[in-house]
Amino acid sequence: MKSTLSLGVGIYLVAIAAPYSMPGATVTVEQAAASSESRSVWERVYTEEQAKRGETVYRKECASCHGDTLVGGGGAAPLTGGTFLSNWNGLTLGDLFDRIRKTMPQGTPGKLTKQQDADVLAYVLSFNKFPAGKTELSRQTEFLKEIRFEATNPNANK
Amino acid sequence: MRQRSAKSGSRLLFVVFVSGLWAEGAVAQDRPKDSEWPSYAADLAGTRYRPLDQIKASNFNDVEIAWRIKTDNFGNRPEYKLEGTPLMVNGVLYATAGSRRAVIALDPATGELLWIHGEHEGARGAAAPRQLSGRGLAYWSDGKEERILYVTPGYQLICLDAKTGMRVPSFGNKGALDLKLDDDQEIFPDLTTGEIGIQSAPVVAKDTVIIGAAFREGMTPKSMRNNKGYVRGFDVRTGKRLWIFHTIPKKGEFGYDTWLNGSAEYTGNTGVWTQITVDEQLGLVYLPVESPTNDFYGGHRPGNNLFGETLVCVDLKTGQRKWHFQLVHHPLWDMDISSAPILTDIVADGKPIKAVAQPTKQGFLYVFDRVTGKPVWPFEERKVEVGSVPGEWYSPTQPIPSKPPAYSRNGVLEEDIVDFTPQIHEQAKAIAAKYHWGPVYTPPIESKIDGPLGTLTVGTASGGTNWPGGSYDPETHIAYLYACNACAEPIGLVRAPKEISDMNYIAGTAGEEVKILRGPGENAGADAPMPSKKGPAKSGYVPLNVDGLPLLKPPYGTITAINLDKGEIVWQIAHGETPDVVRNHPALKGLNIPRTGQETYNVGTLVTKTLVIAGEGQITTTSEHPRGAMLRAYDKKTGKEVGAVYMPAPQTGSPMTYMLNGKQYIVVAVSGGAYSGEYIAYTLPSAE
Repeated sequence: MKSTLSLGVGIYLVAIAAPYSMPGATVTVEQAAASSESRSVWERVYTEEQAKRGETVYRKECASCHGDTLVGGGGAAPLTGGTFLSNWNGLTLGDLFDRIRKTMPQGTPGKLTKQQDADVLAYVLSFNKFPAGKTELSRQTEFLKEIRFEATNPNANK
Repeated sequence: MRQRSAKSGSRLLFVVFVSGLWAEGAVAQDRPKDSEWPSYAADLAGTRYRPLDQIKASNFNDVEIAWRIKTDNFGNRPEYKLEGTPLMVNGVLYATAGSRRAVIALDPATGELLWIHGEHEGARGAAAPRQLSGRGLAYWSDGKEERILYVTPGYQLICLDAKTGMRVPSFGNKGALDLKLDDDQEIFPDLTTGEIGIQSAPVVAKDTVIIGAAFREGMTPKSMRNNKGYVRGFDVRTGKRLWIFHTIPKKGEFGYDTWLNGSAEYTGNTGVWTQITVDEQLGLVYLPVESPTNDFYGGHRPGNNLFGETLVCVDLKTGQRKWHFQLVHHPLWDMDISSAPILTDIVADGKPIKAVAQPTKQGFLYVFDRVTGKPVWPFEERKVEVGSVPGEWYSPTQPIPSKPPAYSRNGVLEEDIVDFTPQIHEQAKAIAAKYHWGPVYTPPIESKIDGPLGTLTVGTASGGTNWPGGSYDPETHIAYLYACNACAEPIGLVRAPKEISDMNYIAGTAGEEVKILRGPGENAGADAPMPSKKGPAKSGYVPLNVDGLPLLKPPYGTITAINLDKGEIVWQIAHGETPDVVRNHPALKGLNIPRTGQETYNVGTLVTKTLVIAGEGQITTTSEHPRGAMLRAYDKKTGKEVGAVYMPAPQTGSPMTYMLNGKQYIVVAVSGGAYSGEYIAYTLPSAE
């Protein structure tokens, strides 16, 4: 299937190489990732304070479709669990942030400020048990693109 | 028939007519019928079957993208939930697309846009319970004229000239019918915000268009009173209403007495939101009816509640009921009949029977004689658990088919709890212990903060077979059914605060704020303000996974082949790559776990001469393919995988196929996560 790799997919590979053992042809891709400045979502990329602010926004603006427990419902996508993790695994927080910016809240996209969107994102990370740290999530897509979304902790069991 | 203008603010969006692909004059009648895809499920029998065999086991891996079309610009924002299945008739491909639910006509060989039609519905569209692009449309021709019919988010039936994409002026009111009118009920509170709509494709049979109805998600309604989801037939030439079937009987009609205390008067929903099936020869229509208000609490609607969760057969000409069978008495589990009934001519125990087979969320395939409504294999009225929710009315029994056996999990038993390792098993048991659980039809309970938090169910709201439905091979009499086998659903009930709902109980978890849950795309501004949240002192919520691993054992998603002559399972396979979170889980290192399939509830299958084809519903990244999902092909005799083709995003609309100029194409809708909606057409490379 390697021949079906499109350019776009190739770019994403740079972001996801680290957690997987990729055979042969992708070695150069792994090297590229290792030398970049990117971090993983497991590296304490938001603060608890920010997640708390995000929770307030989430409950007001998001919970009526995605649910208080982020499980989604009907057509609203879950923001926790297997489907959520698989949807975003291998992309970046910038991609997830962009999706929120472009399309949410459903009835009135763009209603929230970038700061509010970043705070909601922090709350979603916190709900999914990604660890909190001392630096807040940026509200700039470019910075968030440097943070890889990884479903499983690459450092677990090491 | 009374007819008023649909909506003063509504206007034609735009129509662009690009090229004259159509030959002048009559529609060619000698086209090979089996090479087209003229209705949502290939035919009116709900089969999703075409006997094509250019793409087959030996070359499936060679197929490549013929064309693709992003739907971002068919609306004022991109859509991430593209669920359509296109039609291909007479050399043109038609589909609904984008957040506008535009209709597009494409050249099926190249994907070139021929025309586009859209309706701006303003506040009415914004308030619609079912928005986005919907599942598709219907095609009709009398041999001369060709028409396309679809329903807008705001519940207008639009009739288009298939050649130009322009409204047909002689149909309804300048090409549109306001479906909120002439419905034997006053849609409340008003025509703009009144809750009713539909996202499925209309069906046209013998010059009659049949339309059902859909509503908001039904777990937490504001009121026990809601609009009702009647089904209507309209004349495809004029838009004149020909008949109506009251899915909740009116006073004096059969079944009214199954709603005690006059509850038929105010109870709503009970629509047919999924695909309708028709036997044109017999002149019979098969209506799969959904749950009444509300999904999980029926204390305000005591009685069996006909025709909730009932398969109803009506006359195509009159809408008169011929027979019915209620699959679930007094529905409490959101077991809407969620997909098209499948027509099947079988030979059971040596006897030829014109049958209808109904796949379900609860994993039973119910098979009836489609003329008489008699079960082909007997059903047992089995005693089921009677619950304890104050005010609830319980049916003491439910019908259980003796054949075929359930094809997906519909209850939670000890042996279903995940046990990859002893430690994971212990953790999973600890989570399950916070819930009440048991076999199929274990009723919902009141959520208690110290437990049980609710009833842990599977095969309910998002279980088994959902709206994409099954598929069927009329030559071999084998049905192929995708099912979510592990979509666990906790159902807890909480007392509804008066300012939230006038119902005694709605869905919720003890310790969590009680909220009205809405579906996607509902107008955020239209809702009543919520009481401010102070934060629960103690939250009862427990995630249904162990460090990201699903609570129930694999397989998570399956495809099952069922021989309908015998009522027996021929084969069953896990469909879908093992999710990354399982495959890469540190606690599972060194374990040999066979392919698990995926916890996805909305995968549709396609059957060809030799293959069963279905895409994956989740993204994975493996050593075999980059981040993406695979469109997989299985040998339909054995279930053995014979090929897989890369897709950039999960399948969200069921695949279809057609032949054009000697080439077979497969078109599938993909979207989700960061990937906005796209139709992709696959074909074999041209011969050298």
